[in-house]
Amino acid sequence: MIIATMLAVFNGVVVSTSRGLNGRLSEAVGPLQASLWNHTVGFGFLTVVLGAIGGWAFDPLALPPGAYLGGCLGALLVAVSSHAVSRLGAMHAALLLIGGQMTAALVIDGASRGHVPTPGRWLGVVLILIGIYLSRMPSRRPS
Amino acid sequence: MMTRRSTDCLVAFAGGMGLAVMVHCNSLAAQHTTPAFASWVAHGIGAVIALLLVAVAARATHGAGAAGGSPRERGPPPVWAYLGGVPGTLAVILAAVTVNSRLGLAGAVALMQLGQVLFGLVDDVVGLFSTPTRRIRRIDLLVAICILSGSAMIIFGRGDR
Repeated sequence: MIIATMLAVFNGVVVSTSRGLNGRLSEAVGPLQASLWNHTVGFGFLTVVLGAIGGWAFDPLALPPGAYLGGCLGALLVAVSSHAVSRLGAMHAALLLIGGQMTAALVIDGASRGHVPTPGRWLGVVLILIGIYLSRMPSRRPS
Repeated sequence: MMTRRSTDCLVAFAGGMGLAVMVHCNSLAAQHTTPAFASWVAHGIGAVIALLLVAVAARATHGAGAAGGSPRERGPPPVWAYLGGVPGTLAVILAAVTVNSRLGLAGAVALMQLGQVLFGLVDDVVGLFSTPTRRIRRIDLLVAICILSGSAMIIFGRGDR
């Protein structure tokens, strides 16, 4: 359990590292090119890893059309997150992305599974919106 | 009137909403194959779409030298800055491992969010990745408390367990 907990927190560090590197690249080449590099390098890396592991049990025709939308959205969203990190800082960008993700997840849950949000979940959305409102205050950049 | 910062904040929030849709789509793909292959497909399609976006942006700026968005500095970036895609793929594997542990989806997601924010905090204070350092103010911590506790209430407040 402790190892799983540490791995889950470490996964957040890994996600932030990816965003930080893309944000740094974005400052030099722009967010869209940063997204292009992110996807190309990731694709190449996974091709090597999957090739080494073996067993390409994959049939592209078996995937539903909606499954391909994720990649299309990813191209745009990596650009957005790279832009956000370079403009707002890593912590603020992470908080806003998390806030948006959780709010939309609640809507998707409701639409796809018919879950009516509990009062606790509504309160969660209100807290997130308060956080978003407060985050608009400008931050100073000493260096 | 919307300040530039307000616009940046709203764009990031909207990006987060898009991330939820993306995860939903990628999990659809993962149901028909493995998480690693789903990620491979998503990265391949993402690379093609990003190439198209860069080409469209280059055409729109038409020789203004800012293809692919608006870079904020000139000069070549360090080589390691190009490697953001590698930890991105590692995150997919770690997510699959932790979600399938005793933590479950809710616990794994909550801890991952905590890791993201804490590492973001360190990044801002220390200036990892050669980025500008930022002073963390009390209001920033208040924002973190609001969003992380709100997120935890959404994750753990389903009421059907």
